[in-house]
Amino acid sequence: MDTASPRHAKAAEAFLRDEENADWHNETLWFVRSKRDRAAQSLPEWEDLREQASQIKLHSLSKLDDYLIQLEENARQNGVIVHWAANADEHNRIVLDIMRKHKATKIVKSKSMLTEECHLNPYLIKEGIEVIDTDLGERIIQLRNEPPSHIVMPAIHLKKRHIGDLFHLHLGTDAGADDPQYLTEAARIHLRQKFLLADVAITGVNFAIAETGGFVVCTNEGNADLGAHLAKVHIACMGIEKVIPKAEHLGVFLRLLARSATGQATTTYSSHFRKPAPGQEMHLVLVDNGRTRQLASPDFRNSLKCIRCGACMNTCPVYRRSGGHSYHTAVAGPIGSILAPNIDMKEYADLPFASTLCGSCTNVCPVKIDIHQQLYKWRQVLGEAGAVEPTKKIGMTGMDVLFSHPRLYRFAGRAGRWFMQKFPSLANKSSLNPWAIHRDMPKPPAQSFRDWYAQQNQKDNG
Amino acid sequence: MAETTTRDTILAAIRQGKPDLHPLPETIGFAPTITPENLVEAFMAMVKTNGGQAIRVTSLSEAHAFLVQEYDLTLPILSHVPGLDISNFTPAAELRLLDDLHLVVLEGKVGVAENAAIWLDEAAIGIRALPFISLNLSLVLSEKNLVGNMHEAYRLIDTHTGFGTFIAGPSKTADIEQSLVIGAHGSKTLTVFLLP
Repeated sequence: MDTASPRHAKAAEAFLRDEENADWHNETLWFVRSKRDRAAQSLPEWEDLREQASQIKLHSLSKLDDYLIQLEENARQNGVIVHWAANADEHNRIVLDIMRKHKATKIVKSKSMLTEECHLNPYLIKEGIEVIDTDLGERIIQLRNEPPSHIVMPAIHLKKRHIGDLFHLHLGTDAGADDPQYLTEAARIHLRQKFLLADVAITGVNFAIAETGGFVVCTNEGNADLGAHLAKVHIACMGIEKVIPKAEHLGVFLRLLARSATGQATTTYSSHFRKPAPGQEMHLVLVDNGRTRQLASPDFRNSLKCIRCGACMNTCPVYRRSGGHSYHTAVAGPIGSILAPNIDMKEYADLPFASTLCGSCTNVCPVKIDIHQQLYKWRQVLGEAGAVEPTKKIGMTGMDVLFSHPRLYRFAGRAGRWFMQKFPSLANKSSLNPWAIHRDMPKPPAQSFRDWYAQQNQKDNG
Repeated sequence: MAETTTRDTILAAIRQGKPDLHPLPETIGFAPTITPENLVEAFMAMVKTNGGQAIRVTSLSEAHAFLVQEYDLTLPILSHVPGLDISNFTPAAELRLLDDLHLVVLEGKVGVAENAAIWLDEAAIGIRALPFISLNLSLVLSEKNLVGNMHEAYRLIDTHTGFGTFIAGPSKTADIEQSLVIGAHGSKTLTVFLLP
């Protein structure tokens, strides 16, 4: 197979060129991570809660077929129309067919990473349908023709002046106005009209419950509810891994979700949809799109436990300093770097390398996914498949030779120290030494540890 | 029968690839850390944290008096709380006309002290869009129906309702530079009346 392009590294480099913005991005996400810590510490049972969530998810995956059938049966009995989609194309076609059946032309959408993954918006827009994202952050990036850079905070890469300029252009707000309160009010008025006139509402699904045939959608803005209750048709789209057995399990997940995501005790609205309202129609689309393949892999199936809280992104030192867009996938950051290569190994081969493997993502994950271990595992899989970029491969081969030949290793150490002492400016030249990009080489020690150790031994014995 | 085929393919792939049966934890959930005598205080503090206001009243007429003071009750108002008869608005079949609503008053079934989420079921809401479309929202809740945490709440609520929701505060967003703004798409204020 072809080797990976270092797209993440290149995009991260571009992101870091605006140093002020990069610092702000880093600090803002760390602030959210700190809020998460305080929220977690407010519950003495936090660690046990994570363990329960992890066990419930693993159980659900081990009976995924049964629970999906149960969900489908119960949903049908409740009057919900259930669809199955093998991949993104089928998912998009199902949504379009529903639109056509109702001669509908206007959609309001609430946040759904699945529809991002399936590229639903461009598909529907090409078919002449007006698609309006209604989450404020999603609407902002939609007006900018950009994908979200974070699954919970889609416009976290932008400053308020960017949004002020954008709204001035599209919503007619005052030029130069950048007060978040004022801009949010303008968006409210603009989007209220869209809610009132939409034919169809699309929402994601946070949790589907096999026992009741219902599903839960969590938002702070209330946009999912406004859309779904006002439109004649509500289409809810979910990945098949979102199903849990019983309603009582929601207590575990809802306590973890918002605390992990933003540090809130809960989202403002946690809505339980079960039956269509009189005169309305409700659809549930169950999407595979690579999930059964991930399930079949013992190394990577744990990633299907993910409840999309974004905590792993907020804590990741690489995500915070490279920006979500550098991941060039719908779900950025550590968890996205596990999920994306499963969908397209060639396209996303660079992502498992966009990690320090420090394990912070694993430590904050509310469902205890072994994220950094899976990233490490992906590197091995990609290495075996030949998907590692040439410079990395040459470097690794070189190190393999060096470390397996002690004399060569000792000689290289001496040569390196000599070179760095004689030609420090060359050693720090980033065109010759990629390690010196953005950092200076340390001052070389006078002698190696091995020489020093031998000397000490002599002193002690002599 | 393309749909059936996809369904069968997905289910077959799951059966092929799923892990061995993993048992559910024997008990689900945890006992609340908030003691019964602290429920009201903890709940009220969380309402405030969420951006709403909570008021202890001894009767519905006290709540009524507060609403008279706080809101212009000549604007379109709808109350679904028996005994708090301040409605002056008859909803038509056309849902978008609800956009005029200034205030909606509904009855909460269960309140959760650890996060101030209040459960509303379809019977209490009536028209589903109501709590989300109104400019202001007020919820009436009995202190007897306060519980410590979400696990306790799920034991009390009926999740087999057509629609039900936990509401914890007014609508909010922080999508612009992480500045918290109250009043995104849903209600801009939330007032909770706690009855004995």
